[in-house]
Amino acid sequence: MQRRVGIVGAGITECRGRWVEKTYWDLFQTAVREVLASAKMTVDDIDSVVYGIYNDIFEHQAIPESSLTGLIGMTNKPGTRVTSGGATGFYAMRAAIMEVASGVSDVVLCVGGEKATDCYDPLSKSPTPMVINTIAYSWDPFFENPLGATANDSYMQMCLGYNDSHPGDIGDPMVRAQIVEKLCKQGNRNPYAQRRDEHVTVEHVMNSRWIIPPFLRLLEACMYTEGAGAVIFASEDRARELAARTGEPIIWVRGMGAANEAYAVGRGGYYKPLDRIVSDRLAAERAYAAAGVKPSDIQIVELHDAFVAQLMITMGEMGFVPIGRTRALIDDGIMADIEELGDKKRPKGKSVLVNPSGGLIFGGHFVGGSNMFSMWSARREMINREVPLALVHGTGAINACFGGAVVLELDEGGSR
Amino acid sequence: MKTKKKPEMLLPDEYNLPKEVTVIEGKDATPCLQFTTKMVTLYKQTYGELSPFFFGIRDGKLIGARCRKCKQVMVPAASWHCPECNFAAMDPVELPHRGVLAATAPITFFPSASFVGQAPFCRGYVDIATDAPVASFLPCRLRTTTGIPRPGIFVKGVELKIVFEDDRQGTILDIFAVPMAEIPARLRKKEPLLASQLNLGRPSVPKVNENKKWKDPFKQALKDVQSLARSVTKGSRASKDLAGHRLTIGVNTGGGRFSMIIADGTLRISEPRPKTTAFTMSAEDPTVFSKWVKGGSLSDAVMEGLLWLPNLEAFPPLYALDRLPRSIRRDKEEK
Repeated sequence: MQRRVGIVGAGITECRGRWVEKTYWDLFQTAVREVLASAKMTVDDIDSVVYGIYNDIFEHQAIPESSLTGLIGMTNKPGTRVTSGGATGFYAMRAAIMEVASGVSDVVLCVGGEKATDCYDPLSKSPTPMVINTIAYSWDPFFENPLGATANDSYMQMCLGYNDSHPGDIGDPMVRAQIVEKLCKQGNRNPYAQRRDEHVTVEHVMNSRWIIPPFLRLLEACMYTEGAGAVIFASEDRARELAARTGEPIIWVRGMGAANEAYAVGRGGYYKPLDRIVSDRLAAERAYAAAGVKPSDIQIVELHDAFVAQLMITMGEMGFVPIGRTRALIDDGIMADIEELGDKKRPKGKSVLVNPSGGLIFGGHFVGGSNMFSMWSARREMINREVPLALVHGTGAINACFGGAVVLELDEGGSR
Repeated sequence: MKTKKKPEMLLPDEYNLPKEVTVIEGKDATPCLQFTTKMVTLYKQTYGELSPFFFGIRDGKLIGARCRKCKQVMVPAASWHCPECNFAAMDPVELPHRGVLAATAPITFFPSASFVGQAPFCRGYVDIATDAPVASFLPCRLRTTTGIPRPGIFVKGVELKIVFEDDRQGTILDIFAVPMAEIPARLRKKEPLLASQLNLGRPSVPKVNENKKWKDPFKQALKDVQSLARSVTKGSRASKDLAGHRLTIGVNTGGGRFSMIIADGTLRISEPRPKTTAFTMSAEDPTVFSKWVKGGSLSDAVMEGLLWLPNLEAFPPLYALDRLPRSIRRDKEEK
């Protein structure tokens, strides 16, 4: 990168299944108010904005960012909207980081969110089938959508494909249930998490209803969330100046990587393989190379967990556990124990704190801003625990698996 | 006089909401207003360069595109310029109506709103151009002649036959794949093989092997379902769950048989099989029914492949039965 880029603030709304009290206008504004207040900044400090919004149908407006510009104080400033499926948040932040790194802007606000559950299905008299229907429009209109491909199918068929090649890994329901229990305990500590009051045990997971056997029970799946998240990126000079206002350490973007796969599934060539998430591997490797680090240097990971079996594969692809034996997350104690660590301690030895926010399963999944949610949590945990390096991951866009990874570094000296 | 068949409409009548503004309370009991609205766009969407593939479907053919340089085959023919060879020209190629399932396929039990009533169904990727060095896979509906799709049928590597619907307009749903092992030998080479040539709607009930080890679990299961049936009293929540259903369901297990007779909001269990049943469900392991009575669900057993159902029509009564244990519990709690 041409210039060093630092994070000087991050803020999110409370994550809710539905925000009756707020439209997406107020959700986005709330996230912006949060980030500015916590960073002791005003809109005058911001040079430009990048919006992350996944799906116009959820917001019920084409170009939904147009009505946000004035409401979030970005009148007469440049603004770009990014939409890249589940990886929308990552790609929006990538655009914001590039804008600062290139020298085009000094301080960029990146805000993303989603208003997903105003959708309503008159037949079942509930939102869910219509929410799934809306996400199903992510599939093409010629083949996959008419076949009835659902939101779950893309990553679920990869899990099934992975299990064909590596039986006995993600296929062990006890391992997956133990991961869920850990994620739940982590989500309990996140005051903004959608399911912060739930207590889900291994037994609850094993007894919950099937969505798609044999890898997806209800308690293994991410949620639909309404909410928004905002992150402020700044050039080195401006970051130091702004950070002095709060005394909070700067989180530096040390390296970034991205990769997208083909939409068409096939054998050989550039086709999407069904038994791997290649883009996760490439994105992480590129981020590590840019940052000059190895996975073993990283102690906090905030990743996009659509469901637990996919979390396991992604942790394998990103090099934290071996592909084919991602169950090492539990078997070898790679996933840190939050009860042991409390709010302040660093993970010990080879262990990694995976989704301390509760992830998309317990924390929240407002698609266009889910990765900002992850970024908010990674920053918070790095500062609180004085952890030098963390990784934020995003993935989405059905079969094409748009993947991204950012390595973050705590400013020397840690908390002040 | 010929009556013209009314075409199936894109938006069914019930897929609608009255125009209204209503009060809704949020999490903090703050009253807000919400309005019903829609975002509907109708299309006459062109198949464009995909038209040769869909013309092929209409003609009972499977059309791929083969690169002149690298010989890779795109199935379906999604482009006529090879993205791996600097967009070299690709030519149409007629493909065989058989293939191999590329990976174990997910079964959809909870579909999107547009597919309500069609689930469970199965879709997966079929490797058709198996001789080509590089090939894309055909995304395809997967169907079995042996009942509701269940785990263990559509697994990686299973050989498949592509079957064509008799009436075809030119959509991807005009074709589907069936395990080759289920196709009678005389029909395996037929191209196109038509859906009407297969027995898709009336599968024969699978034989369950009666086994001594299931005798006691069966006795227990029978006791459990009988006790459940007695709790479905007139006017109860459970009775309302069954309203509108009037049928007899045969149940075969490895430990014995019984029947569930649903009529007038009651459930009756009979050991001797009545002469006529709407359908038969079958599970080797009788504990499936005990688990259901204890608050589990029959549909979960179907999803796990432990309970066999013949067809989609068996699902509405199954969902009604699924609700019974919870309704009975709630009735008891109220008392």
